[in-house]
Amino acid sequence: MKVLRIGIVGCGKIADGHAEIIKFLDGAELVAVCDREPLLAEQLAVRFGVPNFYSDLDEMLAKERLDVVHITTPPAVHLPITRQCAAAGANVFLEKPLAFDAAEGRQIIQTIIDAGLQMTVDYWPNFDPPAMEFKRLLASGVIGDPVHIESFIGYDLAGPYGQALMADGGHWVHKLPGKLFQNMMDHIFNRIVPLLPNVEPEVHAFAFKRRESVRGDDSDTMLDELRVYLRGGNVSAFGSLCSHARPVANTLKVYGTKDTIEVDFSNRTVILAASQKYPSSLGRLVPPFQSAARYFAQARNNVLAFRRHQSQYFAGMATLLELFYAGIRDGSGPPIAYDEIIRVMDVMDSIIQQVYPGGVPVEAGR
Amino acid sequence: MKILLTGAGGFVGKRILERLLERGQTDVRCMLRDTSKGTALQAIAAVHPAAQVELIAANLKNPSDIAAALDGVGLVIHAAAAMKGSPAEMFLDSVVASRNLLDGIVALDPARRPRVVLISSFGAMGVAPLGRGAMLDENTPMEAHAELRDVYSYAKLRQEQMFWDYHRRFGFEFVVLRPGVIYGPGGGHFSNRVGLSMFGIFVHMGGNNLIPLTYVDNCADAIAIAALSPQANGQIYNVVDDDLPTSREYLRLYKQQVKPIRSVSVPYWLLLWGSKQVERYNTKSKGQLPAVFTPYKTKTTWGGNRFTNAKLKALGWKPLVGTREGLRRAFEAFKSEPAKAP
Repeated sequence: MKVLRIGIVGCGKIADGHAEIIKFLDGAELVAVCDREPLLAEQLAVRFGVPNFYSDLDEMLAKERLDVVHITTPPAVHLPITRQCAAAGANVFLEKPLAFDAAEGRQIIQTIIDAGLQMTVDYWPNFDPPAMEFKRLLASGVIGDPVHIESFIGYDLAGPYGQALMADGGHWVHKLPGKLFQNMMDHIFNRIVPLLPNVEPEVHAFAFKRRESVRGDDSDTMLDELRVYLRGGNVSAFGSLCSHARPVANTLKVYGTKDTIEVDFSNRTVILAASQKYPSSLGRLVPPFQSAARYFAQARNNVLAFRRHQSQYFAGMATLLELFYAGIRDGSGPPIAYDEIIRVMDVMDSIIQQVYPGGVPVEAGR
Repeated sequence: MKILLTGAGGFVGKRILERLLERGQTDVRCMLRDTSKGTALQAIAAVHPAAQVELIAANLKNPSDIAAALDGVGLVIHAAAAMKGSPAEMFLDSVVASRNLLDGIVALDPARRPRVVLISSFGAMGVAPLGRGAMLDENTPMEAHAELRDVYSYAKLRQEQMFWDYHRRFGFEFVVLRPGVIYGPGGGHFSNRVGLSMFGIFVHMGGNNLIPLTYVDNCADAIAIAALSPQANGQIYNVVDDDLPTSREYLRLYKQQVKPIRSVSVPYWLLLWGSKQVERYNTKSKGQLPAVFTPYKTKTTWGGNRFTNAKLKALGWKPLVGTREGLRRAFEAFKSEPAKAP
């Protein structure tokens, strides 16, 4: 297997996750990192034993002959960096959100297509073990056709990522047209969109701010609760981003024509709904046992996966990267269809236009 | 002389202001990210009405904030440092911020460059090769692989290296203080050198090691003395108090005076063996569990050393508060902070 030469540009917090995954991947070597702040590039290189670090992307691309560049910068510079990488013949793996809007996302993808290269975006939870199991069950037909989908993402404003943007009114997330929502919505709608028919969906969004104002800057104007209804053909969906409900959940529930399934990404469970098959009150005694048995089987599978060393925190990113790198080696194409990425971004654009029209937050119920 | 104090709103920063004013300084510019959090500084200033204490909002990550902060300053005491956050954030807040400050200083006319005092850390000293029980002093070589310890130590080491580099290149007056474990009311309840709280139980790992404590007022006074002493130029001073307790004694006193906590003691040999297993498992499992323990971390954190403050005392410093009294005050304050207890 050809060992791919990997580089990272953008040495902030999320770059650690990428470096940690690449370190353990077969067939890939992290050979260089780059950040316009040389001290940040240095710290990532030193901590992960990366041979070279740069503060100039063109210099890194010229000297390192990279097969893949992981772009872990804020999205404002994804397009120009993609262009630089494409000109140097490097495939790109981009952090979400891919771009400021779908139009820019299309330009990124077209740049890569025009250069005869490949790209994908870090939709890693969709490749985590529960997501892979869900895809397998969906393909097997046990759920039937999706009728309704509920995708829920919790967010902790006091958590390590939340704190970073709450403490800094100048944080790059506040500069996004959709602010916090735009930074998180991929994970809601990249689960829904593949299950909708390929028609332009109806999108109805509302949002509000639940927390109290503190600082009087951009960290205060940001909305923090989002609810979205969608309908595409004969499938409907409901997406939520919720910053205040506890525990901080990350779930997908698909109501199908044959069965209903709930995927819990945080707890790594994929459970088909129990149903009453026997008559009368006696029949109602059975489903909780059925659910318990399914959860027990899931727990056993998770323990076995742990024993097989398949339970890393970013296991989904490892799987996604293995697929992406394999596609580059054998030319079989990227693991996420470009059309699917664009459809997700179109939905996001529509939501942002409804809750931040002209960049101004519109609070539901006010 | 106008003094710029960075990190003035922090645990040590507030006490540094107090000690500077107690030692007769009358013109201090306190730098904070958010001056609305300067209430404690204003209270300290109110005790010294003749002194001019100025609070300025500045973020060292923004180079544009720095020139105004340095205007007319004859002494900079750099106490700002990141204590938590991701590695990149800690590096930004400690190292990049320091580089910006240094760039601001060397941009000044050489005749107007202030004396610079850096509050570094014991983590800058390379203890792993020394063996258990070795005496640490100002001649102990710097840490060669701080990145193998923890992000805080790595950032502090890189920060100190950078200050020495600028000092050599630009020749401004420079003093380094390396405090051990700073403690006192408002501080943390336990240093990692004593142990860690894991799964609801406190795992005591320090054994009979001496804990290099320095009471926050003692540490702040050491900083003020070194900052104001002409003979301190170009020198390093380790800051530890007298009569240091062992880790076991600290834990016993905490249980007696603050609250009874469940604890289990792990001997050093077992810790070292366990660390090797954790490190191996991390590699074998492709990072399924983080390498929170490694032999290198164990050697540097729980190997145990001896400490001296002779050089600092030769400068005229002596502890304002004895260790027994310091612990009593700290533990008394800790009683009202159950959320910070393990």
